[in-house]
Amino acid sequence: MTARDDRALGELYDRHGATLYSLAVAIARERADAEEIVADALGQAWRTASQFDPGRGSVGAWLATITRSRALDLVRARGRRARALARAAGESGEGLSAPLAAADAPERRVERQEARQLVGRSLAELPEPQRRVIELAYFTGLTQTEIAAELREPLGTVKTRMRAGMEKLRDSLARLLPREGP
Amino acid sequence: MTDHQGYRELAAPYALDALAAAERTAFEEHLAECAACRADVQAFREAAAALALAAPAAAPPPGLRERVLREARRGRPLAGRRTAWPWLAAAAVVVAVAASYGYWRERTARDEMSTVLVAMRARLDSADRLVGAILDSTVGTADLAATGKAPTMRLYWNRARGLVVLAAFDLPPAPSGRTYQLWAIKKGQNPVSLGTFNTAAGGRAVVTLPAPAGLKPDLSAVTEEPAGGSPQPTQQPFLVGTWQGI
Ligand SMILES: [Zn+2]
Repeated sequence: MTARDDRALGELYDRHGATLYSLAVAIARERADAEEIVADALGQAWRTASQFDPGRGSVGAWLATITRSRALDLVRARGRRARALARAAGESGEGLSAPLAAADAPERRVERQEARQLVGRSLAELPEPQRRVIELAYFTGLTQTEIAAELREPLGTVKTRMRAGMEKLRDSLARLLPREGP
Repeated sequence: MTDHQGYRELAAPYALDALAAAERTAFEEHLAECAACRADVQAFREAAAALALAAPAAAPPPGLRERVLREARRGRPLAGRRTAWPWLAAAAVVVAVAASYGYWRERTARDEMSTVLVAMRARLDSADRLVGAILDSTVGTADLAATGKAPTMRLYWNRARGLVVLAAFDLPPAPSGRTYQLWAIKKGQNPVSLGTFNTAAGGRAVVTLPAPAGLKPDLSAVTEEPAGGSPQPTQQPFLVGTWQGI
């Protein structure tokens, strides 16, 4: 890697590292694991950057997708899912995402806090059962069938909730976010 | 109509990776020919991607930045911890092929890192600050998305021996009557077949193929083809990677 590469990757880390680390902690639950996940994910992104297509997606979402996938792999590999689920089950009122009122850790970027609040608000607007199935899918990697078994709810109910919740989330995020010009 | 409504209802769980394997496969086949559902998926993917920002904030330890840079400098190959191949790595050029699996198989590796970074910066600079923070942009979503467990593949091009060795992981065996085919691609030229292969039930394969003499490809890609292979790819590749140091 050249010094220029170093700078570029450092920039990528400065911009996205805190978000990716928070995501990794939310999924893997262990800070040491989260560090490994973020280092792996950014390393993978770095090595496969030629496959990133700016026309089709955003860098942040691409990195989050890689990070989530690696975190879920690690959780599965270590049989940690049971614990994550137990924790999720014990927090029925809160769920896996940040409660809206939670104070953010000091962050480098005000705009990230604003973004987090927007997403938090959109999630908080969802009825709890809808939010719950979405969070279970995103943060634990469960399929709808697995979620139904976990919650002891009919599969049809889970499907309906997930769809309704995602539609609301999509709509409220679209409403909150200014659209970028062409 | 009723049938199609059934498909439309799968777009949201698909974007969350929450479909069971059979449903996912069926939906991906539908996506290949339905622009409406593709648009749905894209919109839901944006919403799903934003969920990363719903994770409770955790401050990364101060050493993480340096660790990221250090590991990238070392260039540890993808999936490197799964299997060690010292006997190959010593003699061969190593390339990591990452997976973009699922519907978005049409993605092709296009540009080199520098181009990507320039594009990233340009986009970030031009984007609204808030949008930049949430999604960096609102155009589309990140779809290198590994849905479920992504297949990975490493290729080794041993010029001295004229061999290409392929190691695949987590790639389900091709359906009956179909095979996987590996291509070498020189930019601006037609892909050259390096041969066909399949994986075992565990999703793994290690295959040695003859390397065409004098060929210095930029990329390699894998497609699924009818048994016996095709003279030219008949489908979009679902695995693409850039050769380095070849
Ligand atoms: Zn459709």
